[in-house]
Amino acid sequence: MKIKIESLTKKFPSNEKKNIAETIAVSDFNLEINDGELVALLGPSGCGKSTTLYMISGLIEPTSGKIYFGDEDVTDLISEKRSIGFVFQNYALYPHMNIFKNISFPLTNLKVNDYVYFPKIVFLLKIKKVLSEESSRNKLEELIKENTLEKKLDRYKLVNAFKKEFKLSLKYANKFYTYILKFNSDYKAIIKYIDETILKIRKAFSLFKIKIDENGYFLNKDSKAFKKVRKLYRCEIDLLVNDIARIVKIDEYLYRKPSELSGGQQQRVAIARALVKKPKVLLLDEPLSNLDARLRIETREEIKRIQKETGITTIFVTHDQDEAMAISDKMVVMSMGEIQQIGEPDDIYRNPKNLFVAKFLGVPPINIYDGEIKNGGLYIAHEKITDKKINIDDQKVIIGIRPEAYLLDDESKEGITLNIKKIYTSGRDLTLIAEHPSSKDEIKIILDSEHSVNMGNNKFRLLTSKLYIFNAKTEKRVEF
Amino acid sequence: MNEKNNYKAWIYLAPSLILLVVFALYPLIDTFYISFLKDYNYLTGDSSGFTLENYEALFGIIPAPDTIAQLQGPINAFFEYALPNTLLITFVTVPISIALALIIAVLINSIKVCQRFFQTLFFTPYVTNIIAVGMVFGVIFSHTGLFNAIFNLDKYWVENNPETTYWNAMFVIFCDIIWYQLPFKILIFVAGLQGIGKTYYDAARIDSASKIKQFFKITVPLLSPQIFYISITSFINGFKEYQSIAGLFNRPGTSGNSYNLYTVVYFIYDQINAGSGHNVRYACCGAVVLFLIILVFTLIQFYISKKRVHYGA
Repeated sequence: MKIKIESLTKKFPSNEKKNIAETIAVSDFNLEINDGELVALLGPSGCGKSTTLYMISGLIEPTSGKIYFGDEDVTDLISEKRSIGFVFQNYALYPHMNIFKNISFPLTNLKVNDYVYFPKIVFLLKIKKVLSEESSRNKLEELIKENTLEKKLDRYKLVNAFKKEFKLSLKYANKFYTYILKFNSDYKAIIKYIDETILKIRKAFSLFKIKIDENGYFLNKDSKAFKKVRKLYRCEIDLLVNDIARIVKIDEYLYRKPSELSGGQQQRVAIARALVKKPKVLLLDEPLSNLDARLRIETREEIKRIQKETGITTIFVTHDQDEAMAISDKMVVMSMGEIQQIGEPDDIYRNPKNLFVAKFLGVPPINIYDGEIKNGGLYIAHEKITDKKINIDDQKVIIGIRPEAYLLDDESKEGITLNIKKIYTSGRDLTLIAEHPSSKDEIKIILDSEHSVNMGNNKFRLLTSKLYIFNAKTEKRVEF
Repeated sequence: MNEKNNYKAWIYLAPSLILLVVFALYPLIDTFYISFLKDYNYLTGDSSGFTLENYEALFGIIPAPDTIAQLQGPINAFFEYALPNTLLITFVTVPISIALALIIAVLINSIKVCQRFFQTLFFTPYVTNIIAVGMVFGVIFSHTGLFNAIFNLDKYWVENNPETTYWNAMFVIFCDIIWYQLPFKILIFVAGLQGIGKTYYDAARIDSASKIKQFFKITVPLLSPQIFYISITSFINGFKEYQSIAGLFNRPGTSGNSYNLYTVVYFIYDQINAGSGHNVRYACCGAVVLFLIILVFTLIQFYISKKRVHYGA
């Protein structure tokens, strides 16, 4: 589903009595998202990214602007009807329901336009099919063999295997198991029993003058199977929940309460609940913020995998640039309710549009100096830092240099001299902490660990590709 | 705790323990004891051995022994009226008042303007004296009262009159009790509702659950600890009901000599004063029966609650 957002704005009204000024949470937000894209809304806390997400979900009403899902204008549509999945920051799993019920909850509210049939017959036929086909019968025997311990069947494992292999709901997987026990693996007897049962059911229906065909579908006046807007049958829900639980790998915990799961598992349950109804759009509000560092990295890969597997258009909100850069196809950097830059993660990192974006992306952050342009040369405190000719009028500027742009080079004519205070080794890299009179903050530099660096003044040559000039007043990037 | 300091704890606990033993535990045991004594008189303290005949008399199996004729009536009324009335009042008023309180609490919680005002408004009946409430209801339901006027009826609800039927009187009692019981329940439910996270409802909206479904599938289960607490306490209060009848009618029946509005506690209260100390044993029997009923119902509720009540939302 393509999403288009046009000049979306959210204002929270002022309250003079309480001395609260009008707050503009989001202003003039424009964005187009292609089908199947994973988009990250990135920004510091309070930048309006969550508000934007909530407006897309319909839980917050926008002050002005339009939201389109495909060609449909959904701005005035209530959340219930937007067909979205939402993963909340604290997951909001219903604490009193087990995992199965949590995931199936959206399905119990769903209406579909589908054939009307009698589930029991359909599932019994499924079992019959398993038994009458050579390949699936072999599979069944294999499963039984695998799950037999000291001549006793492992009920739990076998039923789960039936669910998975033969796409049976829990109820009929259990039934299948009892048939196998009852008839002592005599498949012909089971088939005969199933045939008899189906015949009995159909006879019972014919008593009430209800027409039903041999496949379990109800027939209308013209003796045809018909579609109707109806709720999902319980066994259909069971199948869907099991499918999604397998995708997010929580199928083992379906009958536990949310409080009995770990944070990562709860998070996957929340994703499963959001995805199970096959929404057009998946929204995630800081989904990883409750996880520990390691789990966070694992889970973000997981989200990426699930997103690619389901191909669903996804928007997720985060304040962690690492997270956004690692998994998103497109990144929207926000600050103070306004979009600063939209683009691919790499591109934004390489070509920040303004000082905010340059500062926000990158670990360690970019180093900022007060500099100036004089006679076509770029200077920081009387040192010409690059031999590149700058065709800009003389003026004071802000210069940003990425930590990886420094090359140790005493002989270089152009470059910057820094006073190194501390050196940390992290195996692969060296991190230097340095000072410079033109920079307010301490300067962090990353070098290969092969270099040997002395404390005190050192001269560095700079890579111009990782060096940015910003206008001192507007803080916009100046190309050179 | 180590052995040496043990006595200190007992000393600290002593004041409350002594009070509890003297005013709660001893009377409790004494009540059981007296209920099995034959011919007990609490003014003299005389009795002649143990017997079951007090209970037999209470349940109408034998006529109450050693009792003057006009005191026989109230004793027979225990099994005939007091017990059924108590159960009836409890099982009608408690579910209705809980359901009403829940609905009102949800409504109060959902309004944005004047929420505090309505919260206070609905709580005010709680600070009113129950006898006074009963008397006011007595006026409202009198033959010339407001209720008849509003619904254009010509019925006798509370008067000492042959036309005042049992069910008319019961209806007034139900109204009075439900009205008086609502505020505290509403207060507890509103407090409970405000503790339920808004994101559950956001999630439910995203999941396309209707408002009704949200109420039954989210609000009620998440409020179940409060509902459980309220149902336990109000069942106990229901079984102890008698003030409203005293306030409304100032007599145990719809007409002068009848006891058809008796409740168990009303009976106990009457028996303590009746028969110049001779009838206390019947009061004790009534109290024991009430105790057992409350015990059984509370145990049943605890049993149910294990499955139905969800703590730690």
